Amino acid sequence: MRPESLHFKPMFKALQPGCCCVVMALLLGITGGRAFAQQEAQSPMLPAAFDFVQHILSAAGTPGTMSVSFQNISIFPPDLQEIVQNAIFTSIRNSGVQLVQPEAAISQVEITFSENWQEYVWVARVQQGTTSKLVMKKVPRPEHAAASRTPMMTVRKAFVWRQDSPMLDFFQDEKSLVILEPAQIAIYSNENGNWRPRYTLSITHDGAWPRDPRGRILMNGSQITAFLPGTRCNGSTSPPSLDCRASDDPWQVDTGAMSAFFSPRRNFFTGILAGQNAGGSVLPFFSAATWQAGDTRQWLFTGTDGRARLYQYDLSSPAALFNTWGSNLAAVHSGCGGGWQLLVSAPTDSVRPDSIQAMEIAGREALPVSSPLELSGAVHALWTSGKNSELAHGIMQSPATGRYEAFTLTVNCGQ
Amino acid sequence: MKRSLLRLIAASSVVIAMVAGHASSRPRYGGTVRVLLHDRVNSLDPLSDEEHTVARDRIAGLIFETLTQMDSLGQPHPRLAASWKADPAKRSWQFNLRLAQFHDGSSVTAQDVVASWAKINTGWKVSALDKQTVSVETPAPVYHLPEMLALPKFAVVRRNPDNTIVGTGPYKINDWHPGERVTLVANEDYWGGRSFPDSIEVHLAFSMREQLLDRQLGFYTAAEVGVDQARPLEQNNQNVAYSRPSDLLVILFLQPDSGAGRPGRKPVDPRIREALSHSVNRAAISNFILQKKAVPANGLLPQWLTGYEFLFPGAMDLERAKELRAEAASLVIVPPITLAYDFADPVSKLVAERIAVDAREAGVVVQPYGESHITALPARGGANADAVLLRIPLQSLEPSVALSATLDDLALNDGQLLPLNAPRPEDLFEIERKTLHNFRVVPIAHLSQALWLSNSAHNWQQQPNGTWLLDQLWVEGAR
Repeated sequence: MRPESLHFKPMFKALQPGCCCVVMALLLGITGGRAFAQQEAQSPMLPAAFDFVQHILSAAGTPGTMSVSFQNISIFPPDLQEIVQNAIFTSIRNSGVQLVQPEAAISQVEITFSENWQEYVWVARVQQGTTSKLVMKKVPRPEHAAASRTPMMTVRKAFVWRQDSPMLDFFQDEKSLVILEPAQIAIYSNENGNWRPRYTLSITHDGAWPRDPRGRILMNGSQITAFLPGTRCNGSTSPPSLDCRASDDPWQVDTGAMSAFFSPRRNFFTGILAGQNAGGSVLPFFSAATWQAGDTRQWLFTGTDGRARLYQYDLSSPAALFNTWGSNLAAVHSGCGGGWQLLVSAPTDSVRPDSIQAMEIAGREALPVSSPLELSGAVHALWTSGKNSELAHGIMQSPATGRYEAFTLTVNCGQ
Repeated sequence: MKRSLLRLIAASSVVIAMVAGHASSRPRYGGTVRVLLHDRVNSLDPLSDEEHTVARDRIAGLIFETLTQMDSLGQPHPRLAASWKADPAKRSWQFNLRLAQFHDGSSVTAQDVVASWAKINTGWKVSALDKQTVSVETPAPVYHLPEMLALPKFAVVRRNPDNTIVGTGPYKINDWHPGERVTLVANEDYWGGRSFPDSIEVHLAFSMREQLLDRQLGFYTAAEVGVDQARPLEQNNQNVAYSRPSDLLVILFLQPDSGAGRPGRKPVDPRIREALSHSVNRAAISNFILQKKAVPANGLLPQWLTGYEFLFPGAMDLERAKELRAEAASLVIVPPITLAYDFADPVSKLVAERIAVDAREAGVVVQPYGESHITALPARGGANADAVLLRIPLQSLEPSVALSATLDDLALNDGQLLPLNAPRPEDLFEIERKTLHNFRVVPIAHLSQALWLSNSAHNWQQQPNGTWLLDQLWVEGAR
């Protein structure tokens, strides 16, 4: 009973009870060529089905007659299975092979839609007399898009760029896209709506970057300023140049109102502030935002202890603590509601898909004003951006693919 | 079968196991990670003859580095090698090393890689083209060499004349008591950035029962647990993470039919081996003894990894088993089969006893007993048993590499079966089929690994096969 001579029949029977839908779908009622053309637009799996058939026919030596049966032991959806089955039938017929009942067939083909942890595995056992051959084809599963829920205000995400290597921050205008990476700054130009690579500027630095490396890039015309842990780079996109030096200069945290010192060998701000708040200090933090609410200046810091602290009027003592926020936040001036919203990440671990929710501060309370926007990756960076702080720039990494995505977030009024 | 598959599918949605604790998503530095491992480890050298290589490799993976590493999607990524390339025939490979340092401050060179791999019997020609380039030439195409080089045995280790060993990884050895505990401290100069925790303490050969009785678990960050211990923890609202059913529980008959094995011992009659295979109720073992943390194994590699394991028949067939036993008994005297299991693994004991009960139904007498040294290859050669019940880890997420490593563990990688040279899944299936056809190897179950995690652990990632990925790990209470 071992598969010495590939006796599969008993096992197919063994799989049947309560298990797999074994479909002896023989030619009756199978869709024709026109229907197939419609299907082709529906499923990217059809080219795989054609290729699979070619391998089957190659193994069978393109016999005059063939029977085909199917079983599904995967999560292959029934509607998709039907489309693929029909495509297989059509492809066999188009190859000049007649589909018949098993007892009249020169070749009997048993196709199993199986799967492994990453993709579908289609397995065909081609039986011809006493000989048996196996054909296997791996077929990627279609991706499912993440859904967002109905909001009061709506956080909108716009895709900017995706790549395999890490991104720390980016700048984008109509003409150019500038991406800060740990080892370089990559510049792209807009050509008919597509970003085309122009050149890269290497970042030189001593020692290794910290784990969870962070960075910030600012553009002023063609002038580049990039902050990385313990390093500051100044340069230009025209002519291309970049000079990086060891530096403990404070980083600009938002679009101009706040700057703070960053730990050169860690992933957080030390808590010592600079610029307008020079001399002030708070507990070490991962991200921060400041905004003007009426006549009140407000600050929010996501502390390295897992708590977000709200300061009002001054930085002497926190007005409120929030314990259930993630460590990434950015303030956005949308004009909706109270005018400013805080985009706050969820308290998930940094290797899981994240979500972003818009909050408003009313008195000492934080009120959610949007539903969470579910992301397909973990947020690695979130910075206030735009001339009037009207958007946030984000970087996330997909746990499913490992790829990095740059995106922008805006808050829209209403649903 | 379908239920098993549905369970697999449900389990498959959890590729990465981790625990979310308090509110924070960005890692924090500092703190000590305390880990309890069930098995004893006597040497940290990735090439040492250890009884329990999984425990050894878990620690060694923090100290030593391979040229490549596998991500949770089964894709190879650069590690000590910054890049690599191969000729179209996949027989000549070049790996370019990144600028990295051993823990003693010396630079890693291609010659260090060559020296480190000198004891590994691969049949490859490994040489240093220059200071930073390693050349690997293989007699036949190797389609997944980067995935192969991610195996722990290919870690780059500097072995000093005084028997000390030095690595390049994110942690350095600070205090090492063989068989008892090891303390590792963060490598401040690690090329990939300093680790978030300050240190990792690993306590070896611990008894979960003792820890639970002593109520000491709260002191620790993570602990390996057996599937028999996991349920009480879960009922107590503790976090237990499971790998996919990956470890292979398998019976290996020690004497080959060729008679080339241990002198004076005869191989068990092939009909009796087949009868034993047909008599085993794999579903009962998976569902009851292994508490549904396993699936019946018909092949060497699990269905979730290959998609083709379902092609191997494995249903219990007692009538056929009785026929085979009667057929053998009519021609030869059928002595009892002595089946050795790992004395230190209570799960193996339960499974071996159940196999004996099942076999008796078919008239085959199996005598299980515990032995201390059956998993390490050299010790296994001296075992007195007819067969051993082994628990073999799934070492790679690339099927050809995983099959090659499994055959190595079974001491069956004899040059006739070469998974690394197999480009298609059909070829791997054929290699498995040839390995299993004479019933010298009888798969029983694919078993999940279980890990208890404290709420203080963040970003503790586990690959589908149970391999730990701790590069993003951080703990509560850190700075």
